Amino acid sequence: MTKQEQVKAIFIEEAGEIIEKLDVNILRFEENSADFDLLNEIFRGVHTLKGNANAFGFTRLGEFVHHFEDVLDHYRTTRDEIEECQLELFVNSVDVIHEVMTCELDQLPYLPDTYPECLAKIKTLMAMKKGDVVLVGVQETPAAFNDLAAEFAEFPTMPMDMSVENSIKKHQDSRKDGLNLYRIDLTLDNDCYKRGFDHILFLKLLAEKAVSIESFFDMGAIASIDQFSHDENGIKNVCIIVLTPLTSEEIGGNFEYLFDHEYRITLISPAVVAPVEAESKVIVQEIQEAVQNAQKSVSKNTSAAAQTGAAAKSTIRIDTFKLDELFDSVGELVIAQNFIAQNERIRSIEDESISRTIETLSKITKRIQDRVMSLRMVAIRDTFDKMKRVVRDTSKKTGKALHLNVLGEETEIDKTMIDSLSDPLIHIIRNAIDHGLESDAAERQAAGKKVEGNITLRAYHKSGSIVISVSDDGRGINKEKVFRKAIERGIITGDENLSDSQIFGLIMQLGFSTAETISDLSGRGVGLDVVKTSIEKLRGKIEIESVEGEGTTFSMLLPLTLAIIDGMLVRAADEIYIIPTLSVVESFRPEREIVHVIKGQGEFVSMRGQHIPVIRLSDVFDLQTEHLEPWDGILVCVETEAGRIAIMVDELVGRQQVVIKPLGKSLAKLREISGGAILGSGDIALILNVDELRPLIEAAHG
Amino acid sequence: MQFDGDALTIGLDMSMEEIREFEQFVRPRLEYLETIEAEEGALLHSSALLALLVSLKRTRSALKIPFLERGLMASETYGTVHWMYHD
Repeated sequence: MTKQEQVKAIFIEEAGEIIEKLDVNILRFEENSADFDLLNEIFRGVHTLKGNANAFGFTRLGEFVHHFEDVLDHYRTTRDEIEECQLELFVNSVDVIHEVMTCELDQLPYLPDTYPECLAKIKTLMAMKKGDVVLVGVQETPAAFNDLAAEFAEFPTMPMDMSVENSIKKHQDSRKDGLNLYRIDLTLDNDCYKRGFDHILFLKLLAEKAVSIESFFDMGAIASIDQFSHDENGIKNVCIIVLTPLTSEEIGGNFEYLFDHEYRITLISPAVVAPVEAESKVIVQEIQEAVQNAQKSVSKNTSAAAQTGAAAKSTIRIDTFKLDELFDSVGELVIAQNFIAQNERIRSIEDESISRTIETLSKITKRIQDRVMSLRMVAIRDTFDKMKRVVRDTSKKTGKALHLNVLGEETEIDKTMIDSLSDPLIHIIRNAIDHGLESDAAERQAAGKKVEGNITLRAYHKSGSIVISVSDDGRGINKEKVFRKAIERGIITGDENLSDSQIFGLIMQLGFSTAETISDLSGRGVGLDVVKTSIEKLRGKIEIESVEGEGTTFSMLLPLTLAIIDGMLVRAADEIYIIPTLSVVESFRPEREIVHVIKGQGEFVSMRGQHIPVIRLSDVFDLQTEHLEPWDGILVCVETEAGRIAIMVDELVGRQQVVIKPLGKSLAKLREISGGAILGSGDIALILNVDELRPLIEAAHG
Repeated sequence: MQFDGDALTIGLDMSMEEIREFEQFVRPRLEYLETIEAEEGALLHSSALLALLVSLKRTRSALKIPFLERGLMASETYGTVHWMYHD
């Protein structure tokens, strides 16, 4: 990567952060539009973004944020009251910034549909605030001009000269070495179309070699339809401002077939725009600062070792790839340390200093592991902040008044998981608002609840896992209805002995939906199963609790990190397997009386009124072992997608944090295994995918 | 070009011949046309179409032409194009 590319990559990352922050701040400001400190913060974000965008040639983004910044600047300095429709415009503007940024990054030739409309509204608002532009429909005009006013009541009229001047100023500010700025005036004759010339054709030619191009069509002389002829040019003047590496001669080459009086090319030197240099100096300075900041960041990355402690800032940016490498190395270190700590020959050495050294090594390794783990951990606040927007939009769309409670924003979670968590969370929240909350205020009042619904977003730690829950105080889930629907859909037969949680879990099966109406928010029966799959990919699971009439809670239980899991080590024959502790409900040696064999269905163990199928690991993996009866072995009861199962093993070995290692291509096909791990002894153990362990009889038919 | 009752949807990338046909089509129907929509994604091919739309709007102010009312078009092919109405 060249230094220029590195600088650009840093800009992109920083711009992304600024936009994310804008997203959050604009919603906070919408809640309290008298908070001018917050408005200042928003302004500063937009200001920085403008400088950066222009510096890196993202002119379309630069133009938009330039105008948005003007509006924000107006309000922060005048402290004018901001009306609701203007707040809506601010929120929409941040959306447009988001979308334009994507267009810029993907180098898309087009812009989002909302771009011109939103930009026009911003310009109009600003022009009205400045008094430069008056909506003709409301201006005081002589009677003679009233017809025209009525005709164009919707259009703000910006004097063309002023627009051109602004454009020149803007381009002048972002001009770089090797680029020339031209003003080209096209005054084509009436017969230009018949001669094969068109203003648009020249724009296309110029744009091919331009860094930036902006044009202004003066349509003031266009006649009404009775005097109009499509093949006669009625456009008086088209002014083009173009920033390009081309010379005047090269530019002139585009117009060589026009008459001399039909075009005029003016090279604009910096001196020409001297009268407006005060503001442009500021912008140039911003751009310089942006480039300098980005370059500083690059040098931080490339020569971090050379920095002295005094000169270094408190934070540095590190490529996540490097973090992953560090994380892998720490995994190896943990394995090596376990090997030393558990090696019988080393442990047999009766030397206090060696024992102490091993103990110290163990402590240091644990500390390094914790520190490195923490590098990947980020507070879930940003994700929750994004959800505020989802709640706001869904509330507006459904017309349901609601209050969002957010708890545990400081809870930290692996950054890799954060990225995959947004979509499931959005779906669950929309589902909670759309289907969880009562459809209208009357229904809530009849149930003795406040008109305003409550959605609670919460994150917390629980037994070595992270739980993220979404609760609503709506109508709750009708258990019987879910059960009946599941039978109708053929998801269950009805003979199953399912717990409440398992019944609620049925709503996350593919194609299941009890919603009476389908909305564009949720309820198509294709969402919750995707949510479930997404969470399972993160090695997590979803639990649903619901009380009819009181509300529902969806809890996503996630591991602390994707790279290390807490596992229960078990032995079957001479092999060690790892069961993720998150799935384990309990382990026990069963009494002979509670084990039953049902003909054609295999072995079952009765637990608290439930018949749980027994799965012998030795059968699953075809291990050569003595055939033990269940009451001679150990059963580990685990929760799976299809309900609980009891895995029969010979021995419980222990519990351990294990570093997950991917399996090779051949083993990856084994659905019963989700990964491998190197144990302290140096041996390899396979991690069980409990959802794929099925009773032998079922597996044989499946 | 698609005509649906009182709404007309046109492509912006019309050739001069298509603009002529559009002009002939729209002249007798101008009084009852409510909206002229532009197809998504297409780019203006000729300034003659822009001029025709302005002329239609000037003739009948109640006619809605959302594309024209935006006042600008931004694309990689032509940059940002603004159009101005004033005397």
